[in-house]
Amino acid sequence: MVPIFTYRDERKLFAVIGAVIVAAAVAFVQLDALKAGKPSPLAVTVSSLAVGVQTAAAAVVGGIRHAADAVAAAPQLAAQNRSLRAQNRQLQSENARLREAVAAAPAVQAIAQAAANEPGGIVAEVIGYDPEAVSRTIVLDRGSSEGVKLDDGVIDEDGVVGRVVSVEPLESSVLLLTDGASKVPAVVQRGRWWGIATGTNSRIALQYVSQDAKLRIGDAVVTGKGRSFHAGRPVGRIVRIEHPAGALYQTAILEPAVDFGRLTRVVVLAP
Amino acid sequence: MTRRSPQDVARTRAFWLANKPTETAAPAYVIEPPSGWVVAGALALALALQTALAPFLAVRGGTVSFVLLVVAWFGVRTGSVRGLAFGLLAGACEDALAGTTGVAWTFATGVAGALAGRLAGTWLSDTKLILVPGAAVLTIVRFALFTVILQGEGRPLTLPVDHVVALAWQALLDAAVALLLLWLRPQLVTRANRR
Repeated sequence: MVPIFTYRDERKLFAVIGAVIVAAAVAFVQLDALKAGKPSPLAVTVSSLAVGVQTAAAAVVGGIRHAADAVAAAPQLAAQNRSLRAQNRQLQSENARLREAVAAAPAVQAIAQAAANEPGGIVAEVIGYDPEAVSRTIVLDRGSSEGVKLDDGVIDEDGVVGRVVSVEPLESSVLLLTDGASKVPAVVQRGRWWGIATGTNSRIALQYVSQDAKLRIGDAVVTGKGRSFHAGRPVGRIVRIEHPAGALYQTAILEPAVDFGRLTRVVVLAP
Repeated sequence: MTRRSPQDVARTRAFWLANKPTETAAPAYVIEPPSGWVVAGALALALALQTALAPFLAVRGGTVSFVLLVVAWFGVRTGSVRGLAFGLLAGACEDALAGTTGVAWTFATGVAGALAGRLAGTWLSDTKLILVPGAAVLTIVRFALFTVILQGEGRPLTLPVDHVVALAWQALLDAAVALLLLWLRPQLVTRANRR
């Protein structure tokens, strides 16, 4: 059998003829669509393919552009980040300070009121305690240089705290009313019965009260006129009454007016 | 050849004197005083903790005495004389901070440091079974001395029953903290050596 194509020129000829036929077919399809007023299938196919390609290209180009922008803006963003972090820290610190101020405001106001009621009173902060907790003492941040003297009375907004037992130039120690060595003359407000308020570590005992005194649970006990205190400072309220058999005196156990576990600011009384 | 440090030479000499080659006795322990800065820091920390937090650390009136533990540690590591000197110093600081105890803590803590120093250089200084109950005993002895000295100063302690209860708790807490520190120390040293 003899092959149809023998020479290269014949293959070129057939290729050209094929191309002309395809071109004519495409032209007919285009003309037909044009006459019908509809988009040609060829245009639809091409545009569909183009959309996909364009979208992909746009995504790639957009990504590269954003990456380039980010790289270009990195130093500026880092600086902005540092600035915002610093601002955040400052705001947090300020917020904490304001919260503390709001929380402490009632106590500060109360102690300011207590100080205002005491001409010459010295407002002091509690800065320490007895290191071995053998005695019920607190250390104040005011000493002889501020006018604090031995045996000065110490109060807070609720009542009597104790008296000064040691004075240094810049600090002073206060023996709390709950210490066993503390002795303060006190009087039951309702009946004016006298006694000596002494500490029991957690509470206060009003000792040497006459057996004739008609004490009641809940009676308020205040200071009598003494070396450290003026009369009428709240000491506590009676929560228990003890009548030892055959004793000459009765004893009342008091719940202190002051919360000794939450002492932060006090007023040292001028004599 | 590198020159050896004076501390290294002293340590070798101490080993040599403690363990003479001709003797067959068990090897003696060599006293190695801790660094002055570490001791000063420990005492400052103990005092700060106790003055700032004493009422909040108290259990039934008894508070951990970090100062006593530091003094005992120093005494056990150095000997009676240095223990006494450091105890006097630490006690004086406590008296200064308490304000109402005269010199009672000074002498009581000084004697406690000297007593702890008796263990220095012996196998007892390396034995938890001795050191932990020793902390409790030292707490009680120190407080007894404190009470006697305070009485001598004309300031007797009031509410003795409360103080006895508080002392029992303090002895227990001191022993517990001593045990914790003795247990932690080798672990911390091992970790530091690994680095």
